[in-house]
Amino acid sequence: MDFVLLVSRLQFAMTAFFHFIFVPLTLGLSTLSALMLTLHYTTGKEIYRDMAKFWSKLFAINFALGVATGLVHEFEFGMNWSVYSRFVGDIFGAPLAIEGLLAFFMESTFMGVFLFGWDKVPKAVHLLAAWLSAIGSNLSALWILIANGWMQHPVGAKVSMFVAGKRAELADWWSVVFNSVADVKFWHTATAGMVLSSVFVLSVSAYHLLKKQHVEFFKKSAYIALIFGLIASIGEVIIGDFHAHEVAKTQPTKLAAMEALWDTKSHANIQLAVWADQKAQKNIIEIPLPIPGLLSFLATHDFNGKLLGAKDLQKMFEAKFGPGNYIPPVNFVFWAFHIMVYLGFFFVILFIWGLIKYKDLENATGFLKVALYSLPLPYIACWLGWATAEVGRQPWIVYPLTDDYGKILLPDIGLKTAQAVSPLTNIEVIITYIIFLATFTGLAIADFYLLAKFASKGPEKEAELY
Amino acid sequence: MHFDLQTIWAILVTILIAGYIITDGFDLGVGILHGLVAKTDIEKRVTINAIGPVWDGNEVWFITAGGAAFAAFPELYAALFSSLYIALFVVLLALIYRAVSFEFRSKEESEGWRKFWDQSIFWSSLLVALLIGVAIGNILAGIPIKNSAIEGDLLHGFVYAEKFPISFINLVNPFTFHGLFGLLVGVTTVLFIIMHGVSWLIWKTEGSIAERARNIGMKVWLPFVIMYVICTGVAYMISFKIGDPSKLKFLNLPQDMMQQVASMVQGNVLPHALFRFPVIELILIVLAALCAVGWLLAVKNMKGGQAFFFTTLTFIFAGFAVMFGAYPLAVPSSLGLEHSITIYNGCSSHLTLTVMLVAALIFAPIVIAYQAWVYKMFLFKISPESLKKELEEAKEH
Ligand code: HDD
Ligand code: HEM
Ligand code: HEM
Repeated sequence: MDFVLLVSRLQFAMTAFFHFIFVPLTLGLSTLSALMLTLHYTTGKEIYRDMAKFWSKLFAINFALGVATGLVHEFEFGMNWSVYSRFVGDIFGAPLAIEGLLAFFMESTFMGVFLFGWDKVPKAVHLLAAWLSAIGSNLSALWILIANGWMQHPVGAKVSMFVAGKRAELADWWSVVFNSVADVKFWHTATAGMVLSSVFVLSVSAYHLLKKQHVEFFKKSAYIALIFGLIASIGEVIIGDFHAHEVAKTQPTKLAAMEALWDTKSHANIQLAVWADQKAQKNIIEIPLPIPGLLSFLATHDFNGKLLGAKDLQKMFEAKFGPGNYIPPVNFVFWAFHIMVYLGFFFVILFIWGLIKYKDLENATGFLKVALYSLPLPYIACWLGWATAEVGRQPWIVYPLTDDYGKILLPDIGLKTAQAVSPLTNIEVIITYIIFLATFTGLAIADFYLLAKFASKGPEKEAELY
Repeated sequence: MHFDLQTIWAILVTILIAGYIITDGFDLGVGILHGLVAKTDIEKRVTINAIGPVWDGNEVWFITAGGAAFAAFPELYAALFSSLYIALFVVLLALIYRAVSFEFRSKEESEGWRKFWDQSIFWSSLLVALLIGVAIGNILAGIPIKNSAIEGDLLHGFVYAEKFPISFINLVNPFTFHGLFGLLVGVTTVLFIIMHGVSWLIWKTEGSIAERARNIGMKVWLPFVIMYVICTGVAYMISFKIGDPSKLKFLNLPQDMMQQVASMVQGNVLPHALFRFPVIELILIVLAALCAVGWLLAVKNMKGGQAFFFTTLTFIFAGFAVMFGAYPLAVPSSLGLEHSITIYNGCSSHLTLTVMLVAALIFAPIVIAYQAWVYKMFLFKISPESLKKELEEAKEH
């Protein structure tokens, strides 16, 4: 592969993964802190005030790096993917701009009021600010996912000739906004943030409960996390199913890779574990789930639904788009997807288990240990979900508009990742890649160190210094 | 000048950039100044607290300006950021360090840790201010981009004709015209940012910090005015050569504007491009200079609010002077005028521009209103004494 292309892909993926360490915690914890503050102002109990203070402090430490990595992300489209940016800018740029105007301003401005406003602004204003900042974060997720949803399923567009070249142009704004793919993506990501934050709160609480310190404080925190987490994790699984259904309809090659489906089948089966040989286009190992037709049912809502296999899809795409490899790496996508799904079920069980044990939580050592060590798992689930979505989209950066399980509606709008990269030199991309990697890694370590320091300290009545 | 969607968007993007320089500008200035105006740890904390609640919201102006450029002028966004790849990379890196420095600095007691983040705040703020100026200067004077569509390549759009490292070095190479102009504008921007930071510190703090800020302000005023005069003088010498007049249609200008440009061409050169609206230009430049004088008086009398008002106006007048001067060019090409990006060949479709305009008209006033409200709420004065008192109260609590 071309070196500039390879490094640009690595750099984009790296930025995305770093960004998504910090983003989901912001999404969920901003909501949780606002909830705790609401409890304080409605019940008047001091403990909820301390809670909101404690958790929002962790959230502030986390937030700075979310901003830093997001900043890089925004400009990387132009820096590394200039051909992509000029080709799609007419449509893709709009949600990004609106995200800034509508969401980021709201989130960051009111976060300032929330974090710095303790005892300085009226209570009602303070509470309002906490909620507006949480809503702002989630709105930002909505708009970025509308942008991402469009590159997965480019609705509402036409291909036109402009003075500076060929490009995609907006034909119908509302179908871009109400893109069904973006819709499920948003709900799935928003709930992922809530699951992740619940596990985060639960895990930090478990740490203190295991040490038998601040028991009342962390038991209450854990309770909020368990309830919130259970609802979110059940929602996550249900929406995940809708999500898979959308993928099946709009991106058949991704679905084939997610399920390691080589041959076209109706009444298709779900595989629990697979090892595929990509060259020979078959699976070497297969462990199916003994419910025949379940995959067809989940994907098409019909046990006899027909699903196109990778082999036929490859032929079909070759006929339409010329020679090339149209099947993403199957083992990678299959396992990324499946581990996420298994983790999804694990979280539901974790929260139920916690609620059962809740009465005597501080002595439920077994549960607390599992909860403590579960901290990395939701992060891994999120990354794997994105790996499924983004690697499964390859070789396309804009997937040709496809619907109804493989009907290609607008082939011209498809843009391959290999075509989309900026005309840069090797040395430029490698410099930025290495320095960004080193910077993000270093800052992430410093950030984890501070998070761990403040999380293990427990709630303290000290002034916000800054 | 036309009142069409492209022009409106050129004005809106200018407003966003001005919004960025005005809001993030003062905290960049405070970042540069904070080692000079604050000697003790508690003074440093006060300086950082002076911008603590607002810097993140300020930085969003940058993000939104980027997003708006992407949406309204995608060809420009794509060409500019891939062309200025390394320069933008340095700006991003500096913004990253700034963002985390504010957050991390106070979270650890050790002196080494704090020194490190103090240095980081200074250098990152300085670099951002300098490079933004350098970029603006280079773009105004013209950078070597070419329109691939002229050669029949319908995919790549506008691309930079030079390769790294020449492409980067030339941005600050005083022996090329655009590099020289870039440096001049860069230094002027830094001086302006310092003045703006001084305004804020006088407004927001009292006591030792405000005093020191005032002394620095009195010293940077004259250099700034001199640099501003030099910049406008040098801008008068900017001109663009035309390679192939028959290709000027790729600029996609409206008919009458095309004729106007054609009538100004002398030989194969479009001279002093930055003064196509000389009367408006001159008025704006004079107004900017008057505001700078007003600023000096305000600083002298320790009137922070007034000083802030004057630095803000200075930038608005100077910024719009530049916009009018460049119009309708967005990124002129030094290879030949026909390769330039204008607001008419770099823009989005009418539908997108319309949709975005509606969104901007609805949301921008709301954003400005609540930002103003938040600013007002946090505009109480702080000082080392007030912070000490706050700390003691918290201990008793
Ligand atoms: C806590 C995190 C988490 C958990 C437990 C799950 N997911 Fe997920 N998943 C994500 C976090 C996530 C994500 C990071 O948010 C993704 C990446 C892209 C997206 O929109 O959401 C995602 C993507 C994603 C995709 C690919 C979307 C695409 O290609 O555009 C599918 C089909 C599913 N998920 C389905 C599921 C199912 C059926 C789950 C459980 C049974 C599940 N996910 C649990
Ligand atoms: C699933 C994908 C994404 C989601 C859900 C998401 C969501 C968020 C959220 C919640 C924040 C708040 C700050 C924080 O991180 O703590 C944020 C920040 C940011 N994100 Fe993303 N983001 C995603 C991807 C992207 C991408 C691809 C870009 C590039 C355009 C981007 C650009 C930004 C920027 C510039 C910020 C800083 C905003 C500020 O200053 O407040 N994000 N994002
Ligand atoms: C924050 C969560 C995200 C993660 C973890 C993520 C992950 C990745 C990965 C792994 C790749 C590389 C794929 C490959 O080269 O094989 C990639 C590429 C890319 N992603 Fe994302 N992504 C995220 C969100 C987004 C969003 C929200 C957008 C758009 C708004 C986006 C746009 C892109 C683009 C333009 C590329 C480069 C071209 C390509 O390789 O396809 N990503 N991302």
